Amino acid sequence: MHRQSSTEARARHSAVISGLRSAALATFLLATIWAPTSASAAAPAGCAALQTKYPQFKGKQLVNAINPHTPGYEAIDPKDPNKYVGFDIDLGEAIGECLGFTLTYKPVTFAALLTTLASGQADIVISDIYATEERAKAADFITYSKVFDGVLVAKGNPKKITGINISMCGAAAAENTGYVEVPLVQALAPECKKEGKPEPTLQLYDNNANCIQAILAGRADTYVNDVNTVDQAVKANPDKLEKAIAVTIPYSVGIAVPKDKPDFRDAVMAALIEVQKAGTHKALLAKWELDPNNFKEPDILSVK
Amino acid sequence: MSLFVHYLSLPYLIEGIWFTVAVTALGLAGGLILGLVLAAMQLSRFAVLAALARGYTVIFRGTPLILQMVFAYDALPQIGLKLSAIGAAGLALAANEAPFIAEMLRAGVLGVDGGQVLAGQALGMTPSLLMRRIIAPQAIRTMIPAFGNETVSALKNSSLASVISVQELTLRSTQLASSTFDFFSIFFASGLIYLVLTSLVSVIQLFVERALDLDRVTPQGRLSIFLPWRRVDLQTKLAEPAALLPPPHSLLPEMTAPRPTSRSDRAKHAAMVQRNNVAVEVTGLRKSYGAQTVLNGVDLTVRVGEVVALLGPSGSGKSTLLRCINHLENWDSGMVRVGGRRLGHSDDGRKLSPRAIANERASVGVGMVFQQFNLFSHLTARENVAGPLRWVHGLTRTDADRRARELLERVGLSHRADALPRHLSGGQQQRVAIARALAPNPSVLLLDEPTSALDPELVNEVLEVIRRLAVDDGLTMIISTHQIRFADEVADRVAFLSGGSIIEQGPAHEILSNPQHPATARFLSVMEADKAPESTS
Repeated sequence: MHRQSSTEARARHSAVISGLRSAALATFLLATIWAPTSASAAAPAGCAALQTKYPQFKGKQLVNAINPHTPGYEAIDPKDPNKYVGFDIDLGEAIGECLGFTLTYKPVTFAALLTTLASGQADIVISDIYATEERAKAADFITYSKVFDGVLVAKGNPKKITGINISMCGAAAAENTGYVEVPLVQALAPECKKEGKPEPTLQLYDNNANCIQAILAGRADTYVNDVNTVDQAVKANPDKLEKAIAVTIPYSVGIAVPKDKPDFRDAVMAALIEVQKAGTHKALLAKWELDPNNFKEPDILSVK
Repeated sequence: MSLFVHYLSLPYLIEGIWFTVAVTALGLAGGLILGLVLAAMQLSRFAVLAALARGYTVIFRGTPLILQMVFAYDALPQIGLKLSAIGAAGLALAANEAPFIAEMLRAGVLGVDGGQVLAGQALGMTPSLLMRRIIAPQAIRTMIPAFGNETVSALKNSSLASVISVQELTLRSTQLASSTFDFFSIFFASGLIYLVLTSLVSVIQLFVERALDLDRVTPQGRLSIFLPWRRVDLQTKLAEPAALLPPPHSLLPEMTAPRPTSRSDRAKHAAMVQRNNVAVEVTGLRKSYGAQTVLNGVDLTVRVGEVVALLGPSGSGKSTLLRCINHLENWDSGMVRVGGRRLGHSDDGRKLSPRAIANERASVGVGMVFQQFNLFSHLTARENVAGPLRWVHGLTRTDADRRARELLERVGLSHRADALPRHLSGGQQQRVAIARALAPNPSVLLLDEPTSALDPELVNEVLEVIRRLAVDDGLTMIISTHQIRFADEVADRVAFLSGGSIIEQGPAHEILSNPQHPATARFLSVMEADKAPESTS
């Protein structure tokens, strides 16, 4: 899946430290960078040139399909549920600002993100989606973030799960339909068999909240997802949940755009480079308390 | 608890109701329109249409709504049809509801008593008029509970639109739960909102049922339906009008004694009508259902003012013959003329459409009375008579009502003009049916075993009415009956049917007292026991 974000591949207590550090950093960066960004003067020279080079997107209102169940990346604002907030939302708007377009949002299930894009119901997907070869058959990706996953378990980690490895044999894993963690967990089956242990079982849900509820209700033993999401869940239920460990996943997070619009893909990529040059990307990571290690220079993933 | 109240009153969730209601409304309205089309196709005379409708039903009733939603949203744009999310959800819901609604409509239509349809046809109603005035009003009443169900189910099904980004209640609830982690407070709140919406549907359903309730007595009673103890008493309420009725015979003092008419007068009458013009002429009429021959070359001539009784065992073809004379049935060969006009074919010899046949019936003027009365059960006695006059013959309401009053008075029922058929006794219903058949002034009245479905004590009140039509009004009538004595008293002529043809006919008293054909004699002797003809006076 998804998202993944950010952060910390470290253990929990170091997350606290890094949180403190991020907060300090954020304050600093907000003062220096956020202000100019929101004044739309960020990277003026580069963006102005891009708007001249890609005039077709200027003044447009584009649709961003999102799966708004990932607080920190994209979720509705609890204080004003009519708004979507999060790192991806801000990043998308910074890119839009650079190219001169605005965004509206279309909330769909995770599994429907690329379908919605392919059917033309959306123009772009910035929703913490991992760019995989498989998915790149349906859309082109501009990658912008490294992926770290957290392993969410019940308080005390009763099954002693230590990652996506044979410690999961026989456990029930909750996952979102279409997430990249699904095949990773499935791939454990032969290893478990070799060890003479039962295979892990998968429970598929269609959003984060349901996966977390599955653990709270005792139906699932673990939920592997973007580490930031896992941290948020632990923060909301500190008595019942904990993060067993954070793991690295060999993917990058990407912005998905239609395969038949290379102009748009190149423009978004160029704009993302400008946004990164201006320091906005890192400032947003700090604003949303995400690990700065997530930062990644953009690449394009496109398969025929 | 406070969180629950917070979410219950959160504008974000409340506004989600609008999307839920919008998708439901689109789905139901579209489903109703599409359902009407599907039901009409399934009920149509054309097999191809019915098969197409069947195919649609199989597909859309047999696939999950969630797939249909995704299809409408993500696949239709591939062929250039890009609907908004609400539009796509409404379309998918409508397409999914349509087969269910069509089945409801079809069941409602088929549930209307076929006898009433036959009676409407006999009165010259076209198929569309029948649908509008007779079938639909009754079908709609029976469909309301099912439609209430369907509405509740559509409302709940609208939550599936969350998968295609419609901002309805369920989608808003899950998004809110994801961002706040207040899973249960939010879902209890949205569950309660759904419950309020579905309860509203139930209340509306009860109101509509109440408003259309034919037995509703007073407008003040409208709210009482919500009081459980009021419902118990509906049965009592229904029983009341019947109990208040004086026994039918006391209403007909002038009819109780049969009008004495001497044999010689009768014979004179019979001889006289033989010089009249021909009213009905049937020649060489043949009809079979598959291998079974029902009419095997019937010839019958009835003159103006003549009363002919058709006798014969059950299955001898009496009813079929009457229905052919009114063209309620088609025949295989032979000819039927009424008032000199040949029925069933246009001037260029082509077969008539149902609509043209209805118009033909109305203009030729053949009235028909059925064994089972076949009154329109949603209409009062007066409307049963007046309605067809307005719809088929274009009378004004005032004229039609006046005519209905006169006729109900003639059959001794003016005091029951506002009663529904189900509140009338069998004899009273048959008298209303006779009034209804007489209303357009038919040139011929066909009566198909008019007393066979009546309790014995009610037979006389109906026979009296018929007797007066024959004797006082000189109406041309063809009556199929098992009442031998009545036939002897009223008919100028009897025709005895057996195996689909007339094996003996002639002056009533002569045949009945001295049958020539062995089958006639056998039949008469079986009926003899309690219905012997009176001896010559």
